[in-house]
Amino acid sequence: MKTYFLASLAILLACYYVGSAFAADSGAGEVEMLVFPDAYSAGSVSNGGTISGVVKFEGDMPEMKVLEITKDQAVCGATEKYDESVVVGEGNALKNTIVYLIDVSKGKDFDKATKLEMDQKGCKFTPHVQIVPVGARLTMLNTDKVNHNVHIFSSINKPVNKQQTKNRRKMPLAGVKKAEGPVSVKCDIHGWMSAWIAYIPHPYFAVTNEKGEFTLEDVPAGTYKLGYWHEACGTNSGSPASVTVEAGGSVTQDFTLKLK
Amino acid sequence: MKNRNVTLLMLVLGIVVGTLRCAVTYAQNAPEASEKGKEVYDQSCAHCHGTEGRGDGSAAENLLPRPRDFTRGLYKIRSTESGQLPTDQDLFDIITIGMPGSSMPGWETSLSADDRWEVVAYIKTFYDGFKAGEAPREISLDGKIPYAEQSVETGKGLYVELGCVECHGNIGRGDGTSAPTLTDEWGFQTWPANLAQSWNFRGGADTEAIFKRFIGGIAGSPMPAFEGDSFLHFGLTVEESKRLTELENKDEMTETEEAESEKFYEKMDAAVNLALNRTEGIELTAAEQQTYDDAMQVVYEKSWHLANYVKSLAPEQRPEPAIGKNVLRSQYVQDALPGMEDPVWETLQARHFPLVGQIVIEPRQFNPTIDSVDVKSFYNDTEVAFLFTWDDRTHTIGDETDETTGKPLEDALAIQFPVKVPQGPTAPKPYFLWGGRLPVYLWHWKASTPEQVTELTAKGINAAEVQEAQGALQAQGVYTDGQYKLWVKRALKTDDKKDLQLDPGVFVPIAFSAWDGANGDVDAKRVVSSWYTFVLEPVPSSRRFVYPPLIAILSLGLLFGLRAAVQRRNSVS
Repeated sequence: MKTYFLASLAILLACYYVGSAFAADSGAGEVEMLVFPDAYSAGSVSNGGTISGVVKFEGDMPEMKVLEITKDQAVCGATEKYDESVVVGEGNALKNTIVYLIDVSKGKDFDKATKLEMDQKGCKFTPHVQIVPVGARLTMLNTDKVNHNVHIFSSINKPVNKQQTKNRRKMPLAGVKKAEGPVSVKCDIHGWMSAWIAYIPHPYFAVTNEKGEFTLEDVPAGTYKLGYWHEACGTNSGSPASVTVEAGGSVTQDFTLKLK
Repeated sequence: MKNRNVTLLMLVLGIVVGTLRCAVTYAQNAPEASEKGKEVYDQSCAHCHGTEGRGDGSAAENLLPRPRDFTRGLYKIRSTESGQLPTDQDLFDIITIGMPGSSMPGWETSLSADDRWEVVAYIKTFYDGFKAGEAPREISLDGKIPYAEQSVETGKGLYVELGCVECHGNIGRGDGTSAPTLTDEWGFQTWPANLAQSWNFRGGADTEAIFKRFIGGIAGSPMPAFEGDSFLHFGLTVEESKRLTELENKDEMTETEEAESEKFYEKMDAAVNLALNRTEGIELTAAEQQTYDDAMQVVYEKSWHLANYVKSLAPEQRPEPAIGKNVLRSQYVQDALPGMEDPVWETLQARHFPLVGQIVIEPRQFNPTIDSVDVKSFYNDTEVAFLFTWDDRTHTIGDETDETTGKPLEDALAIQFPVKVPQGPTAPKPYFLWGGRLPVYLWHWKASTPEQVTELTAKGINAAEVQEAQGALQAQGVYTDGQYKLWVKRALKTDDKKDLQLDPGVFVPIAFSAWDGANGDVDAKRVVSSWYTFVLEPVPSSRRFVYPPLIAILSLGLLFGLRAAVQRRNSVS
């Protein structure tokens, strides 16, 4: 009798578990998001510290898939295009990783002088990952002499889908209201074109370069959660690194990421 | 035994609790709504759109376009600007009218207006954005430019300039080079509208509707919004724009010209800046508003021209199907039958045969891309010629294969006749899907061999055989700008018993199957028609020039004779 009861209990639990799995599944396939502070106050930071490091890729370097160029060959097919979801450089350096402070509530203001541009040259978005301050205007460049359409799949902010005809060299986009992302950017005319934009509420974000390096400067002294996001490797939002910055000091935090 | 029952009970309980948990997780987000709206929605809408409005109802899987997911606030058919929510009236209209070319029916006859308004209110609860209660910015229809040849011509230029061709193709048949790779917001494949088939426009085909889709975009789809600054030289007048183009085309500009063009650039930048301010919610001063309105005036004019051009691409209404007075009647000619490019075909009005996805037998086609086939025909004393035209957004000739069957994916058309013409209107016809007990006779044409038509005999959709004796059928097929044109010629009479024999004046059943390789059509997965009829229109007899005059002369003679006889009798008396 007892065994039967236990077996039934086990089945009950199993069903419950399966049920919950379905419930959890509703969000499956969605891109993991960055974590933003509830509020941020910007001011001047004196004697801040620096957090820097290198992001590396664990495992064999994945071969970059050559993208199929289906139209406008003369312009788009002039050079080979690769799927840039994982770009690994020398010494397993992982490019295009966003590294950022998760729980910063006050610090410096954005550097307004930074040019915010995303190019579509050769039917490829450059950079592949772009961070854009909330409210700032990102300028889309088109020097291709072909038509593009800039399709930004925002869901918190208003989605954008604007044609940038071949004659339109620069097309600034309206600033957004809320922090969000990263959101996918596509060109429907050239289906292989893909990039990411993160709308950020504070300036402590960096995107790793081809050497996998990142630097966050002028960080007010304190202990922070340091997060990362990568298109194919996911995030560490569940267990971010803890970093303590001393006034005027420098601290190093490296990451090693593997595919999800 | 009892124990087993306990296990069973626990199992059922487990499933119930498990399911309940999903439901609870979802239900937490669901805001309150009017009971009536929910009731109507659950009864009429939820099967496709899902009880939580996620577009995931039980029927959703087989629908393309998929039912709208209401939780994202992305609505295709709006009278509002890009990035804006629809008006309540927009939602009400869609529910009332439905969406042509999709599975969304109109509910005008099955739901009362009150119920439809209740549903509008309920649908809005699925997306929090509606709660703000801000009135969405509507697209102004002021300054509509009436339909006229000159406007259409201007619109045609803009159609190319703005890049509409990329997806919609050279003359709008949805065959642009980007068409095969388009996906919607949810990653499902989607096709650009065939602008020649206005009856499938989801939001209606009047010029105002086209204008709104163009300015506001179609949210959730790849169709961008053509807001002000998508236009070349936004901020300049038409004259200024012309002048700037002139300057830009010069090899070298003088200093004054440099300064002149610089002024234009500044003016454009200022206009773009105002447009962005407006989008960002920054209030414009009265002067700025004026500048912006002036810039938009130019854009709106262009947009009306474009809408007029798009309007010009399709007939006013969908052609009537080929039944009743529209039955396909092959016209008699005395001489040789016209070849494919002969202009004499233009003298005939095509007959229209709507096609639908084949959903009776596996594999089924729930998402057809071929809408219809149009047919014309001539015959003479020995032969009959047909001209078939149908729109297909892609030219697929079997370079790729179907994953399940391993067969090449290829565009094709099959024309179906019975082997023997049923005697009389009540006599049974073969089953419309390639026959059954009664066999059918088929002409099968494939895009990879455009000069060839194969004769088949079939006793079912999967029971077709290539005829041993292939009659001398001539065929020619071409694909241009999203349309196939197929010309076929055959003798009226053949020696093959498996062939259909044709006689003038006899109504012959005819039906069609078509395959769009790019849409995964293969084998039974295709579009089909049911039986229609066609007839070799009998030649009006040449004896009509003999008997009627003869009778007239005879009657006249009789009349004169009668008169003479009467006169004679009168004179005698």
